[in-house]
Amino acid sequence: MPAGEDFIYLDYAATTPLHPVVAERMQAVQSTAGFNPASNHVAGRRSAAVVEQAAAQLAALLNVAPDSLVWTSGATESNNLAIQGAARLRAHRGKHLVTMQTEHKAVVDVFKALEKQGFEVSWLAPNPDGSLAVTTLTAALRDDTQLVSIMQVNNETGVIQDIAALGAACRERNVLLHVDGAQAAGKIPVDLGSLPVDLYSLTAHKFYGPKGVGALFLSKGTALEPLMYGGGQQQRLRPGTLAVDLIAGMGEAAAIAGRSIDADLIHLGALRNQLLQGLRNIEGLHINGPVDGAYPGILNVGLPDVEGESLLLALEPLCVATGSACNSRSQEPSAVLRALGRTDIEAQSAIRFSLGRATTSMEIERAISLYQDAVLKLRELAPERAA
Amino acid sequence: MNGDPYNPVVRDYFARPEHAGEVMGEDAAVAFFEDQGMRIRLSAKVAREDIKTLRFLAWGCPHVIAAAEAFCRRFEGRPAAELANFDASQLMRDLAVPVEKTGRILVLEDTVRSLRAAIQDRNTSQAQD
Repeated sequence: MPAGEDFIYLDYAATTPLHPVVAERMQAVQSTAGFNPASNHVAGRRSAAVVEQAAAQLAALLNVAPDSLVWTSGATESNNLAIQGAARLRAHRGKHLVTMQTEHKAVVDVFKALEKQGFEVSWLAPNPDGSLAVTTLTAALRDDTQLVSIMQVNNETGVIQDIAALGAACRERNVLLHVDGAQAAGKIPVDLGSLPVDLYSLTAHKFYGPKGVGALFLSKGTALEPLMYGGGQQQRLRPGTLAVDLIAGMGEAAAIAGRSIDADLIHLGALRNQLLQGLRNIEGLHINGPVDGAYPGILNVGLPDVEGESLLLALEPLCVATGSACNSRSQEPSAVLRALGRTDIEAQSAIRFSLGRATTSMEIERAISLYQDAVLKLRELAPERAA
Repeated sequence: MNGDPYNPVVRDYFARPEHAGEVMGEDAAVAFFEDQGMRIRLSAKVAREDIKTLRFLAWGCPHVIAAAEAFCRRFEGRPAAELANFDASQLMRDLAVPVEKTGRILVLEDTVRSLRAAIQDRNTSQAQD
């Protein structure tokens, strides 16, 4: 975070700050190319060129063809378009869908809505570390299964799913695979040119791009029923005038991510290790998710005897998350952590530290100190349980 | 609206719970309640009908901790008989406790009632001695 901030921001999984180069690019586009790219005149063509450049930048990050990308307002819309669009278009072949209990609400709630519309959903349980066993997936696939949706990097625990193996299992059964890549794209190498993935959702603001813009990748030949009608833009899949400045920002953020992913992962790995070493001596502390092999930008820890809401307040000025960041005002224990076998209290006490490009070792040191002090304070305040 | 779920009083009492702890000794009156996913322990030392020392321990959200601290600040040094005037609804207004947490403040009210009974029992047994 910039010097002088009165807080320590360790909530990069919720959102990342706009990269200054991205902001510059967006300002330039706003002042010189903020026209309708669908217009058939010189101004429109200038905007269309900006969109084409951004598509090329994003396509390069994902190793796909630029015309395989559809611009959306973010991952939530991409998830909705992919899941609803695929389920509805293929409903005449079968109405069975598969996903995990540990998906983000932007996926879970779409499947719940489809259940109300007559689709049958299998909710797969994770292994204790949050990963999905290929055997668990294959056992759930049926002749009438049309779509599987699995997130690549879990937003709460950082567990990385084996998309190559899971996708191969789907391909064998001719089932579409949608991947929610909101926490993966721009953060870990994602090669959709080689992964067996049919649909992939992503959003710009998770990798230092602007909020309000995302994309959906569709593999060649994958068809969807649109959610909206009117205008006919983007092969009629997602009509509406494109937000050229936001799209330019997403493209620029993708280009920066492509250049810095390797360095980011090394930086985040060192910081996560520092954080883990600093916290692991606290009595009763457990790690939610895998210790090794997880996305290094996320570390989720919990305690069996500390109340989560008080812990969050006692940690100020540390900005971290309890449960799902998109749902952080909820008092409900995290469904993800409950699926990993945590009790309600353990789940409510969970703190997700998510680190980013600007995080420093000094901030991690301060975070460790704040966490230790907060836990000590709350333990001293707590009366013994009744015998 | 600034989106802060805690008003300045809650923040102050949570940050500096001056009455956190326990009154020790055989003459301490103690009450404990566990409900609504939270625990509260109140302990008091009473001399000549007045509450000389009042302490709390609490496991719960910031509103519960602040409410326990507010209770102690309000009644320490006051006649024990005034515990009957404890007003949970006034406390909720002072601390801007969200309505969905009403049950938690009522647990504090139950604990206060229990403390009152413990003080009366102690006074009765001391009078009999």
